[in-house]
Amino acid sequence: MLRVRRVVARWCGACLLACVIVGVSASPAAAQGSADPNPGAVTFTGGVDVLNAYFFRGIPQDDTGVVTWPYGDLGFSVFSGDGGVKSVGVNVGMWNSLHTGSAGTDGPSGKLWYESDFYATLGLGFGGGTSLGVTYTAYTSPNGMFGTVKEVAFKLAVDDSGALGPAAVKPYLLLAQELDGQADGGTNEGTYLELGIGPGYAGSKASLTIPVKVGLSLGDYYEGLTGDETFGFLSVGGVVTIPFSSMPTKFGSWNIHGGVEFLMLGDRNEAVFGDSSHVIGSVGLGLSY
Amino acid sequence: MFSMFTVRKNALALAAATCTLVLASTPARAQDAAPADPNPGALTITGSLDVLNQYMFRGIRQNSTGVAAWPAVDLGFSAYSGDGGLKSVGINVGTWNSLHSGDTGTDGPSGKLWYESDFYATLGLGFGGGTSLSTTYTAYTSPNSGFTTVKEIAFKLAVDDSGYLGKGAVKPYVVIAQEFGTDVATGQADGGDNAGTYMEVGVSPGYAGSKASIAFPIKVGFSLADYYELAGEDNKFGFASIAGIVTIPLGSTTSFGAWNLHGGVEYQALGTTTEFFNSGESSQVIGSIGIGFSY
Repeated sequence: MLRVRRVVARWCGACLLACVIVGVSASPAAAQGSADPNPGAVTFTGGVDVLNAYFFRGIPQDDTGVVTWPYGDLGFSVFSGDGGVKSVGVNVGMWNSLHTGSAGTDGPSGKLWYESDFYATLGLGFGGGTSLGVTYTAYTSPNGMFGTVKEVAFKLAVDDSGALGPAAVKPYLLLAQELDGQADGGTNEGTYLELGIGPGYAGSKASLTIPVKVGLSLGDYYEGLTGDETFGFLSVGGVVTIPFSSMPTKFGSWNIHGGVEFLMLGDRNEAVFGDSSHVIGSVGLGLSY
Repeated sequence: MFSMFTVRKNALALAAATCTLVLASTPARAQDAAPADPNPGALTITGSLDVLNQYMFRGIRQNSTGVAAWPAVDLGFSAYSGDGGLKSVGINVGTWNSLHSGDTGTDGPSGKLWYESDFYATLGLGFGGGTSLSTTYTAYTSPNSGFTTVKEIAFKLAVDDSGYLGKGAVKPYVVIAQEFGTDVATGQADGGDNAGTYMEVGVSPGYAGSKASIAFPIKVGFSLADYYELAGEDNKFGFASIAGIVTIPLGSTTSFGAWNLHGGVEYQALGTTTEFFNSGESSQVIGSIGIGFSY
């Protein structure tokens, strides 16, 4: 996989969920009387996004045609308690990228389905909004445009909204190690580090999130003609999410979201892409149940 | 895909039906103490993972060696329910996959596990007397390029006659499926010259007890036109199948939904075209075991 996408998609999903949750908490008390359609321990999150380009962690994938990302996630809330570990969750899901451009139907394969990822996550929640997630991902390409990449990633995140309220920045750190296959098509499996924040504002009718992140190679993640480059990309985005209703319905919580992301690329990714930056626009539909 | 779609759907449906029947047959005392429904909303999630020694799609053999694993997930939306002539409207979307270790998977020319990935969307209408009519669009794709993408629209008319016949219910159904968007040897289950029209007639009698259920699905697959092409000739009879499937609930419904373990054996008698695809053998026996989930 030539690829930036999943983090963006996850941002969208996380922002939307956060928006819905905040939107719910801001709803009038009378409306809050609606019954929860899903009080059990299994949740479903899904959506479809449409974009003008797809970069994976700053690595260009396709900026021709239209890119569509259908995805679905099943979450199992395995444990919740008051001890040191507040919660344990398991998520499994699929994420896909369909391309009409040079990596898809207009490309050598002639096939739409550029990427399909399967992942499984074990998430631990601690006090102070701190969480640690361990994710195994298999990135595959049904139309054969890249070789399968297998990766394990660790994400440490802090939801500081309890302490900082609307000023929360929600910092996180993601460390990923390729086990087999490589995103950069280089000679060695790479180690990736991403640092990011996700400040934003959630109102009763909509929410706005401004995700900022930087992607770095800790070892062989951005291999180019001159060796491994540490700096991969810097990204600043703006995502607006509008819930369809202030309360979850019996069909769950639906939203429409859209955003713009500005990418500044490192030398290696610039050399591949042919430009030092790019703007990505996206619009999508999300569901949380 | 050269397929068994009906079998796998049967397995999912049987598992869900078993869960329903098992719950319905729970003693009153247990019902009083039953936990609250973890999912009273209008969405349902169904999933399964089955492992088989052989994958046949509507009698057409898909692998000769190794094992096949079928992970599947379905999301159902209960869009409407009422007391008129139209009792219910439902929409389902899902993905069904076949992973192969043998000659059409990791041991094959592609070297890749993921032989088949299907996306489908169904509009289901429920009428009185347990009658239902569903329309399904399916795109059968092969991530490891084992076959070309097949696009199909299928109509299924089914009757759940358990309201009349109780434990003697046979649950008859008929499926008619039409391939479209095809070319010669492209986009067709049989790899033939023309888009095919398929018909399947089946019943699914069974018995559901408190600890387990057993079902005996029987079905016959026909070509109404060009579905079982071989050397320019369309052979009408595709296959006849009889199976036994046992489903054992894994405890009662919890906050994680209803889980079950199921397994079965299926015998298929093949027609001329499907026998050819089966290396000249006129029958095939399929064993399967899996885990199912309904929430």
